[in-house]
Amino acid sequence: MLAELDPLLHSQLRLGIMSILMSVETAEFTFLKEKTNSTAGNLSVQLDKLSEAGYINIEKSFKGKKPLTTCKITKKGMKAFEEYVNALKQYIKP
Amino acid sequence: MFVSLKKHMETKHDNLNPQESLELITSMINQVKGNMLNGSFYFLLWGWVITFCNVGMYYFFKYTEYQNYAPIVWTLCIPAWIITMIYSSRQEKKAGVVTHLDRISMWLWIGLAITILPSWIFGAQTNWMVNAIVLMPVGLATFLSGIIVRFRPLILGGITFWIAGTLCYLVGPIEQYLVGAVAMVFGYLVPGYMLKKSNL
Repeated sequence: MLAELDPLLHSQLRLGIMSILMSVETAEFTFLKEKTNSTAGNLSVQLDKLSEAGYINIEKSFKGKKPLTTCKITKKGMKAFEEYVNALKQYIKP
Repeated sequence: MFVSLKKHMETKHDNLNPQESLELITSMINQVKGNMLNGSFYFLLWGWVITFCNVGMYYFFKYTEYQNYAPIVWTLCIPAWIITMIYSSRQEKKAGVVTHLDRISMWLWIGLAITILPSWIFGAQTNWMVNAIVLMPVGLATFLSGIIVRFRPLILGGITFWIAGTLCYLVGPIEQYLVGAVAMVFGYLVPGYMLKKSNL
């Protein structure tokens, strides 16, 4: 039987965010926005969802007077991503 | 606005097939690849500082009576460290991203500083044969940096330091400063300027 794909990751923007965060230590909001080609509003909503699920940590600080949002994947997030990729492999196997 | 965005996301959700998911993951990883911070600034800063210190030590020992004061030139490393720390924190903020390799590089150089610090503090006990002790770990850090950023001139720079470090044991205690200065030019400055030009 095919494994179920994590619905939280099986969405274009959230999967994009998680793929980037898997490959880096930390990434700022503006970096994620540029690389995923998303709008600030949409990105913000999806980051909150991932954060609520415990997949990422969001740290809010200030860079001068501008707010700075830095994201980092958690261990739970890494595990979920790995399981998602393993499940994907089952679907793709001939 | 959020409602329409949500709808948009739901549609995307439904359309994403496993093949597309894999392609998305691959393309995102590729976006981040090669996003390393350019390290040429550090090689140029430290290349000039250490070259100057070595030449200064050689000059004091060879041509002046004030040999006891010679090690003072090394205090130039203190402002260089402060500049390094300020610059690196600014760079990280500017880039908006820190990769695993950036983190490895940072700890490699901090580790190097910790490794060589005692040889400066207790330099008098080794008759200031600092280069013979310091150039070998400097070679290792430079060599590994070259491997990390895939830049051959830095790899060759690391090898230059290993050769120079060995040579320091063979020449006199004063001449080792000249060996150190030359090693800095070929190990840090030449690769540093090439790295700057390459925009890696």
